[in-house]
Amino acid sequence: MLVMSVIVFVGVYAIGNPLEVLIPPDAPQDVRDFIIARFGLDQPLWRQYLTFLVNVLQGDFGYSFVYNIPVLDLILSRLPATLELASFAVLGGAFIGVPLGVYAGYRPNASSSKAIMGLSILGFSVPSFWVGLILILTFAVSLGWLPASGRGDTVEIFGVGWSFLTLNGLSHMLLPGVNLSLFTLAMMIRLARAGTREIMLTDTVKFGRAAGLSESTILLRHVLKLISIPIVTVFGLELGTTLAFAVVTETIFSWPGLGKLIIDSITNLDRPVMVAYLILVALLFVTINLVIDLTYRLLDPRLGGRSA
Amino acid sequence: MLKNLIRMSVMAIGMMVMAAGAFAQTLTVGVRGGPESMDPHYSALGVHADAMKHVFDTLVWSGDNLQVEPGLAESWRPIDDTTWEFKLRKGVKFHDGSDFTAEDVKFSIERIPEVTGPTTLMIYVRRVKDVEIIDDHTIHIKTDGPAATLPNDFVRLFIVSSKAAKDYSTKETAAEGFNSGKATVGTGPYKYVSWEPKGDLVLERNDDYWRGKGAWEKVVRKEIPNDSSRLAALKAGQVDLVNYVSSADWLTLQADADTETYLADSVYVMNLQLDQREKTPQVYDLDGNVLEKNPLLDPKVREAIDLAIDRDIMVEVVLEGLGRPARQIMPEGFFGSSDNALKRVHDPEKAKALLAEAGFPNGFKMDLYCTSDRLPGDGAICQGLGQMFAKVGIQTDVNAITRSVYFPAQAKREYSAFMNGWGTLTGEASYTLGSLAHSNAPDLKLGAFNRTDYANPEVDKLLQAAGKELDEKTRRELYEQAMEKIMMDRVYIPLVNLQAVWAGNKGELNMVPRTDEDTLAFFITPAK
Repeated sequence: MLVMSVIVFVGVYAIGNPLEVLIPPDAPQDVRDFIIARFGLDQPLWRQYLTFLVNVLQGDFGYSFVYNIPVLDLILSRLPATLELASFAVLGGAFIGVPLGVYAGYRPNASSSKAIMGLSILGFSVPSFWVGLILILTFAVSLGWLPASGRGDTVEIFGVGWSFLTLNGLSHMLLPGVNLSLFTLAMMIRLARAGTREIMLTDTVKFGRAAGLSESTILLRHVLKLISIPIVTVFGLELGTTLAFAVVTETIFSWPGLGKLIIDSITNLDRPVMVAYLILVALLFVTINLVIDLTYRLLDPRLGGRSA
Repeated sequence: MLKNLIRMSVMAIGMMVMAAGAFAQTLTVGVRGGPESMDPHYSALGVHADAMKHVFDTLVWSGDNLQVEPGLAESWRPIDDTTWEFKLRKGVKFHDGSDFTAEDVKFSIERIPEVTGPTTLMIYVRRVKDVEIIDDHTIHIKTDGPAATLPNDFVRLFIVSSKAAKDYSTKETAAEGFNSGKATVGTGPYKYVSWEPKGDLVLERNDDYWRGKGAWEKVVRKEIPNDSSRLAALKAGQVDLVNYVSSADWLTLQADADTETYLADSVYVMNLQLDQREKTPQVYDLDGNVLEKNPLLDPKVREAIDLAIDRDIMVEVVLEGLGRPARQIMPEGFFGSSDNALKRVHDPEKAKALLAEAGFPNGFKMDLYCTSDRLPGDGAICQGLGQMFAKVGIQTDVNAITRSVYFPAQAKREYSAFMNGWGTLTGEASYTLGSLAHSNAPDLKLGAFNRTDYANPEVDKLLQAAGKELDEKTRRELYEQAMEKIMMDRVYIPLVNLQAVWAGNKGELNMVPRTDEDTLAFFITPAK
């Protein structure tokens, strides 16, 4: 994470002075100097970085150049929106995708399986901004069933607003959620299918059948368990990616989440926000990977003991 | 008898419709950009001011076409070379019921350097040296020299309550006080209810507004940055009005019977700028070596570049008709733009001949840099320019890039030929010509955005004289002469004047589009 912060810091510095974008073009030199000094950007880079580091160690990520509020507050205020949208999308994708994939793997030649695989190819290859716009056009503009943008009503729990607890909020979440989940859905279908096809040919299944177990028991008890490791891995990675970089969907649906925040910060070279955000994302990925590794042990006891 | 019955039922229905209209008193607007804070003194950004004008008033008001009008100040006049007297409006009350007085004006001016963000409002009070309160409704502003355009600068001087904002006027406390609403006490047509960054701004009517009561009880401004999503929100009935309709959508909406569009000339003119240093980094001979002597110094080369541009094609094809060919770097009719400015023609044959005369019969190579995400069509105009230059023999490598890379590099003088929009936000020439066309002179506070090394002593002299001239007519003439000369020199080559489009549901709203692209709820009324 230290390396990360250095890279971001130097990277933004290389683009140029962030304030060049923000200071009004007709500002005379004295006003320019005043502003640059005020935000500490007249200092050499190493000193700016050192100041930043000392502050971070005290839990202070600094103030956003653009909003003049503490960066941490800004990020935390957007986190719930992204959290619920990403969870909705990834969980939805997984819970629908895995059964479909297992089915497609179980009956690889059925026409319904082929339809499922076709769907997954679409999910992979069609750009999500296009799908987003089509969803808006169909369900919001033409049919008028669902709202096109925003978060809707929220309920306050622990001092932050959540949309998924109100009907109105849920209706706002449906379209972006579906849009965001398409990729995960496609991924899950493919993984589950590949895994199932492989396992179905193994001795485990043959012996299971020989022992007179019903097909559904074989699928649910044995196959599902055996294909779960790659699925959990990808699930974790998808969750992380969706949380951190749901930029396109959030922009199209005006969902006030983190993705939108980071893209705005990049266009404005709002360095404090960029650095803090990327550090938090690094932390997030490390945490998710840890949780996944722990889950492996639960799913496959062989991974414990010696090899761990 | 039957006739009467029919008449009565028609009347009854009519009254019901009117009553329904009276209930629909919330105006929901989908805007591309929202404010950065609820502190009006934090940012000078156009979208920031647009939102702030609902809650706060400015000392001087700028009208639909940026003409200067009385605001919280009823009248003003220069007393001597360095003093302006402003007479303040009487009987104006803040949202908390307290009276608006000269103390609030002084407080607001002095507060700006304390709380300003990077997009600083200091540019609008930079000429102020001292504020003197004469009585409750009279102030004298001392300036650091003759400041002819002070009233124009004050169109962005928002007045906050000196009592409510007293404890929220440092860099650390300002955002807290204003975002929470504790200090967000203005004299404007709407009172602050709530806001979150990049989210909704919710406002309710100020019934005691000095201009009269607004038409809407409640106003919600939703920030929807994506152009297609914003329009979709209108079509889905989530908002009543959207701003910045893209040119492609505008074409489609022409055929849409349910939607009404409102079109205004914007303050933005796209300018091509040509570096005037002896040696410039991005102009090459045909083998790709940087040329020893900068060809852009040669007036013939600059004229050839100007003649190569077909502005009609630019407007009709590139912008889908949403713009006007420009012949000066400010919109026509603004204070200081001239009717006698150079007429622009498209003549590629003559351009080739001029290049040959200048010693480039086979042309040369150059890089062209532009913003691609700042104003509608900027990237596409850039591509168009590249093709037009190639036709007369200037092989152009087009680079349309994001503004966050473009502006810092432009400030570091890395470009030779570059294009971006310039908005004459104050509606008069000192803002535009003073920043762009005067030679860079920090001691005079002029030429701060002159990134071309353009220096014409005659222009400098005219601009300096105009900045000090308090007589309006003479000042206008001086700026017009300067404009004519600058346009003749062709270092700044104007391309197109952009237009802005709003869209609402047919027959629902009355609105006069504003040149500064603000969407002010107070001046929008229901049509029924």
